[in-house]
Amino acid sequence: MELYWDWRMARLIDESGSVVDEAIWDGIRSPGAVADRLEKMRENRMTTEARELADRFPESVAIPSAPEGWPDLQKEDIVLMEQAALILARRGIAQAAGDGDRRLEHLVHSVDELRSAWTTMESRVVEWAGLFLIDLDLDSERKSIPKAIASAENFSTLVSNLELENPLFSPSNEEWSAIHGSAVTAVEMSARINETETAIRNQVEDYLPSLSLLLGPLLAARLCVASHGRSRLARLPSSTVQVLGAEKAFFAHLRTGSPPPKHGMIFQHPWISRSPRWVRGKISRMLAGKASIAVRIDEHGGTPWTQENISEIEKSVNSIRTRHPKPPSKKGR
Amino acid sequence: MAKTVNSGSIGWGVMRQGRGLWSRNAVKGEQVRDERLRRDGKIEWRSWNPRSSKLGAAIIRTSGDAQILLPEPGSNVLYIGAGHGTTISHLHDHVCGSGNHHAGSIVSVDLSARCIRDLISLAEKRPGILPVLADARQLHAYSIFLPNRVPWILQDVSQAGQVELMLKVCNRFLSQNGIALLSLKAASERWTDGGDEARFSDAESKIAESKMKLVERIDLRGLEDQHVMYVLRPQ
Repeated sequence: MELYWDWRMARLIDESGSVVDEAIWDGIRSPGAVADRLEKMRENRMTTEARELADRFPESVAIPSAPEGWPDLQKEDIVLMEQAALILARRGIAQAAGDGDRRLEHLVHSVDELRSAWTTMESRVVEWAGLFLIDLDLDSERKSIPKAIASAENFSTLVSNLELENPLFSPSNEEWSAIHGSAVTAVEMSARINETETAIRNQVEDYLPSLSLLLGPLLAARLCVASHGRSRLARLPSSTVQVLGAEKAFFAHLRTGSPPPKHGMIFQHPWISRSPRWVRGKISRMLAGKASIAVRIDEHGGTPWTQENISEIEKSVNSIRTRHPKPPSKKGR
Repeated sequence: MAKTVNSGSIGWGVMRQGRGLWSRNAVKGEQVRDERLRRDGKIEWRSWNPRSSKLGAAIIRTSGDAQILLPEPGSNVLYIGAGHGTTISHLHDHVCGSGNHHAGSIVSVDLSARCIRDLISLAEKRPGILPVLADARQLHAYSIFLPNRVPWILQDVSQAGQVELMLKVCNRFLSQNGIALLSLKAASERWTDGGDEARFSDAESKIAESKMKLVERIDLRGLEDQHVMYVLRPQ
């Protein structure tokens, strides 16, 4: 005998197709109640009616899809189901805000956008000021220039603050306020970048504790966003993790047979970027493997790594470096 | 009733006039995507742009009877990969009508919370649309809204394994004389040597091995690049 059910009723049907027993839901038919029932069914749980029939006929087999001749939905059923669907869909959307991936995605993209806007703004301000202040060293004092402009009231205070001689030409008042405005924006932007990065650090330390300990919070966040979420990053092979961010080189390799990239974003890690070039590939392969393990621990609720685990990995990084002190000879190729 | 207007009628709520496709607006005076509205006596027609709707494109391009591509008014149908709801709104005009007087339903599945948000605001004005936030590959997440088999399914997802998913969905939900439309995007399948054409023929051989029969292959190129709409029926 086969047991079928939907949110309205449950039925027990024998081999010949006749209905042996039936239990109809007699609760108050409100959208909220229907939504709760549907949610229960979505978690693969039986409705009370199905449970009742299953208890009465323990030999019955539960079948998920409805048979021929199952009662059609009535207009009022559709209205109820439609309101229940809206309730469930709203619940689902509300859940999205609790989704660490989505929150990280906005944070990381926001930092990227701020940073690119800041670079443009900052270089404009520096060059702009340099046009008038010919004695200003635009390289060694670069970092302090936007701040100095932003805090100066007018052009002559800026000149005296920077301890420079009065230049031949000065900007007009309106021109000065345009320069000053840009400088204020650039300074504000760099504060905003810091704020957002702090937010990323805090979030990642909860969401990806092991990975952020291994790679640093910002790189961990970047990898997570680039792979479209923690659960996907945990499922990626570590060879993919190794070249995440180097897609252009990787697909060029597939197409044209050029050498494959040795590292993607993971290159930002000092163990790789501050190693001699001939061991970078080896270290990045190893580090990508460790990153995969770390993210799997985080995704599946394992015990997060501690500094001890990281030091052990660092030891093996150092041993790779000492094993290969010299670049390989070209003859071997 | 003016006969000229209905001359291109495709079912109850859709008509074709020259190059234009129109659906009978269920919410009079309201546009969904700034499309053109046109009054014709008591009926208001809403322009259905085949460039932003693959179903619309398929209706324009089919060499067979366009009517079989649309479900009967009052059906319960399944739409997988609902997107922001442009096509859903036209389907609703036809299947549900104003205030859902046909008593139809459109179970509209999408994975993206952003899309479901748009669908919710659409559904609030158009009773009969059931937005479902779910991964199309998890059938049990939307089977709860489909107690019965349905006569019409459309699948338009951009992920690998579209054909396998469609066959699984049909097996589970499509009624015996129902029809299934599979919008296949070549770029979403795994990269192979033969280009788009190889991926399409790969899909076709998968269909040939299944319990489904390929009724028509509608090429949407020009209206929707890299896309083909397959019309399937149970064998």
